[in-house]
Amino acid sequence: MRTRTSLLMAGLASAVMALSSCAASDVQSGGTQATSAATSGGSGETVVVGGPNFTEAAVMENMYALLLQDAGFTTEIKAVDNREVYFGELASGGIDVVPEYAATLAEYLNQQANGEGAALIATNDAAATVAAAQPLAEAQGVTLLDPAEAASQNAFAVTQDYATQNNLTTLSDLGALGQPVTLAATEECPQRPFCQPGLESTYSIQVGSLLPLGYGSPATKQAVQSGQAQLGLVGSTDGTLGQFGLVVLQDDKRLQLADNLVPAVNTASASDPKIAEALNKLAGVLTTADLTALNGQVDGERQLPEDVAKAYLQDKGLIQG
Amino acid sequence: MLTSGAVAVGVDAVHAATIPENCLVRNDWVCPLYVETRSSVLLEALGQHLYLVLVSLAVGAALAVPLAVLAHRVRRARGLTLGVTTVLYTIPSLAMFILLLPFVGLSATTVVIALALYSLTILVRNILVGLDGVDPEVRDAATGMGLSPWRTLWRVEAPLALPSAMAGLRVAAVSTVALATVGAIIGYGGLGNLITSGYQANFNAQVLTASVLCVVLAVAFDLLLLGAQRLATPWRRS
Repeated sequence: MRTRTSLLMAGLASAVMALSSCAASDVQSGGTQATSAATSGGSGETVVVGGPNFTEAAVMENMYALLLQDAGFTTEIKAVDNREVYFGELASGGIDVVPEYAATLAEYLNQQANGEGAALIATNDAAATVAAAQPLAEAQGVTLLDPAEAASQNAFAVTQDYATQNNLTTLSDLGALGQPVTLAATEECPQRPFCQPGLESTYSIQVGSLLPLGYGSPATKQAVQSGQAQLGLVGSTDGTLGQFGLVVLQDDKRLQLADNLVPAVNTASASDPKIAEALNKLAGVLTTADLTALNGQVDGERQLPEDVAKAYLQDKGLIQG
Repeated sequence: MLTSGAVAVGVDAVHAATIPENCLVRNDWVCPLYVETRSSVLLEALGQHLYLVLVSLAVGAALAVPLAVLAHRVRRARGLTLGVTTVLYTIPSLAMFILLLPFVGLSATTVVIALALYSLTILVRNILVGLDGVDPEVRDAATGMGLSPWRTLWRVEAPLALPSAMAGLRVAAVSTVALATVGAIIGYGGLGNLITSGYQANFNAQVLTASVLCVVLAVAFDLLLLGAQRLATPWRRS
């Protein structure tokens, strides 16, 4: 009986070992998507594309990876949860390329360098915002490339019914209506100048109460849809607003900063000029409407981000095959 | 940029005409088409989840046994061991990952270390309870028969402590299966990656399928360990 017990324990132990070692190779090949490039002429080194894991970021990461593969690089995608996690990795070279949002990144760097109350360096112009952020990024070993026309920024949505009843198309219209609204947004909204304070000062919208349900999250959209909130903070490139019966009110006084998509690369590990050349191809092509449609194909039609990214780049002639 | 909202709605409307009608597009919770079209994604996530749980438990058990023996044998080590392993459990997972990142980077190892440390709380306590529960007379008898302390541990105390240790392992396994999902914070959460991205994209089929697989995995682990426990302690079966 004693031998049987020890044998069993030894057997169990070796089974665990065997299982974990075979799963280990699974993780290496599967946990991250490593894809080798078919085209010749590249240096063959692996470029790690990283960033957040929501739909738009996944589409952008896949587009960057495909453009780099087309330029002859091997790529790997590492999607994580938030900027606190990935920006440190980008600065240290654990990640080589991240799709960033110009104004948000500019202010993130600005606050890191100059403290919480620092004067804003981002504006509603993309090129100026990137130029202002560039020295701060370079101080951390990060370089910003060319911003795309596509901008994914704060937008405020109401239900189609509410817009029709009150004849609203712009945020100014909502301010003129003079009714206090319940706002579904992020927890930080009351502190962020382009959220609640901006709505109040620029548009004279009275925010009665705030539901902290997140930025463009399903919960935020459902709250507006069900009438728990009248106004919801969403993304300007959200492809699923139609499903919730929501429409965006135009930012007619240009309150929002230029959150254009811009590739942020590690200056040292992504110094090969071919990387910048490949990624900058997207700058003159990708528009806000394009990005909204791509997001809609993933979030609405449930296509895979990699398929959507590939079809778009092929359609625009930016990659072969 | 100014008119992005209006453009977005326009594109949506144009698109609506060509959207196929199926359970993915309807966003049903139960959608066989999801399992069909994403089988490779699901298997990959399940493999990663299995890897995280197995390696964390193996590392956790390998650390817990000597710690529990130490706490059992050395009075002064007891409070310290129990205190430290309990405090570890109170560290929020996000903080734990960010603390580990500079040392191990964005890799499955970061999650494994965190999960292994969390499992210690349950494992050390249960092994210790098992060792404490051994009748002192049995231990005295072993010593009287001339067994060295190490042989007493292996031959007498270990088999008697096994039921309690295995009960701890079962709880640790089930909790690790659930806890592994938080690895999604750094992109290594197995099925948790699918649950998180599914929630963010309002993708019901993905959230439900991945969650159900998590529960199935936890139950499978529990049953396997229960079976192993029964085979390992045949004297308790009558």
